[in-house]
Amino acid sequence: MLIQIILIVLIAIIILRLFAKYKSREVSMRQLSGWLAIWLLASAVIIRPDLTVRLANLVGVGRGSDLVIYLAIIFLFYTVFRLLLRIENMEKNLTKVVRSEALKEHNRHE
Amino acid sequence: MPALIIIPAYNEARKIKEVVSSIKSAGDFDVLVIDDGSVDETAVAAQSAGAIVLHHKINRGQGAALKTGVEYACRQGYETVVFFDADGQMSAAEIDPLISKLHEGYDVVLGSRNLGRAINMPVSRKIIKKLALILTRLTTRLDITDTHIGFQAWRVDALKKIRLNQDRMAHASQLLAEISRLKLRYAEAPVTINYSDYSLKKGQSIFGSFRIIWDLLIK
Repeated sequence: MLIQIILIVLIAIIILRLFAKYKSREVSMRQLSGWLAIWLLASAVIIRPDLTVRLANLVGVGRGSDLVIYLAIIFLFYTVFRLLLRIENMEKNLTKVVRSEALKEHNRHE
Repeated sequence: MPALIIIPAYNEARKIKEVVSSIKSAGDFDVLVIDDGSVDETAVAAQSAGAIVLHHKINRGQGAALKTGVEYACRQGYETVVFFDADGQMSAAEIDPLISKLHEGYDVVLGSRNLGRAINMPVSRKIIKKLALILTRLTTRLDITDTHIGFQAWRVDALKKIRLNQDRMAHASQLLAEISRLKLRYAEAPVTINYSDYSLKKGQSIFGSFRIIWDLLIK
């Protein structure tokens, strides 16, 4: 099917870019292997959708693509949650830095 | 040592001078303006009126600015602080009565529009305030007649115990929650809030309340 080819090409490009980033040391070995595993798994599911159907039936979901979407949504929610916490932390740290700067600057003037 | 009046200010160049001068002439107070990353001449205007000015390099919100003020008060050894707004809707003449009340033996005295007066308060805001009051009374069990008002007098000793990590507007709810948690001795005093076109434009919109609830829920 055409959609399979499109998705595989896209993933191939992403993987190539990932390797380029690894070479220029933008990503570590750990990040590389993690992301590679995710994208290879995605390609496997795209090439052999029946794999997900079997897994889906095993856990009691009708269609393979439904299972993939359920898992993806859970993953996304979790990621958003983690990001929110991180941003919150950064904001708090930023405030601390701004505050200590303000108080320090004042001491210099005195 | 005189009381320290803490005023968080963000782009208030138009009003801040008048506000600082009115406090200075109302009594023997030290005035601290926290310029919260303003892009206008707020700091210069405040300084020229005789205020001590601390400068946040980037805007961090009213809660963050107040906490910087509290930190300053602790370091300099002040015993009493008063939170005041920069937009000219509060009356400097009411600072002294608030402090007198505090000295009757309280940790904090909260200004109340319901005991005092709210001039030109829009209806939409009245409704929101009423809802916020019901919610606050339920969650904090504090027996108060008004909520989320920035006009407060504090003993610095009591402030030191308080956890204040809400950078934006939710800090007001947090302060009340902390009063309840720490079982501080609190009282209310009547204040007059005069809503002008200027202060309304600078103030919170209704959507601000959703932001506050969101902040309180996720932090």
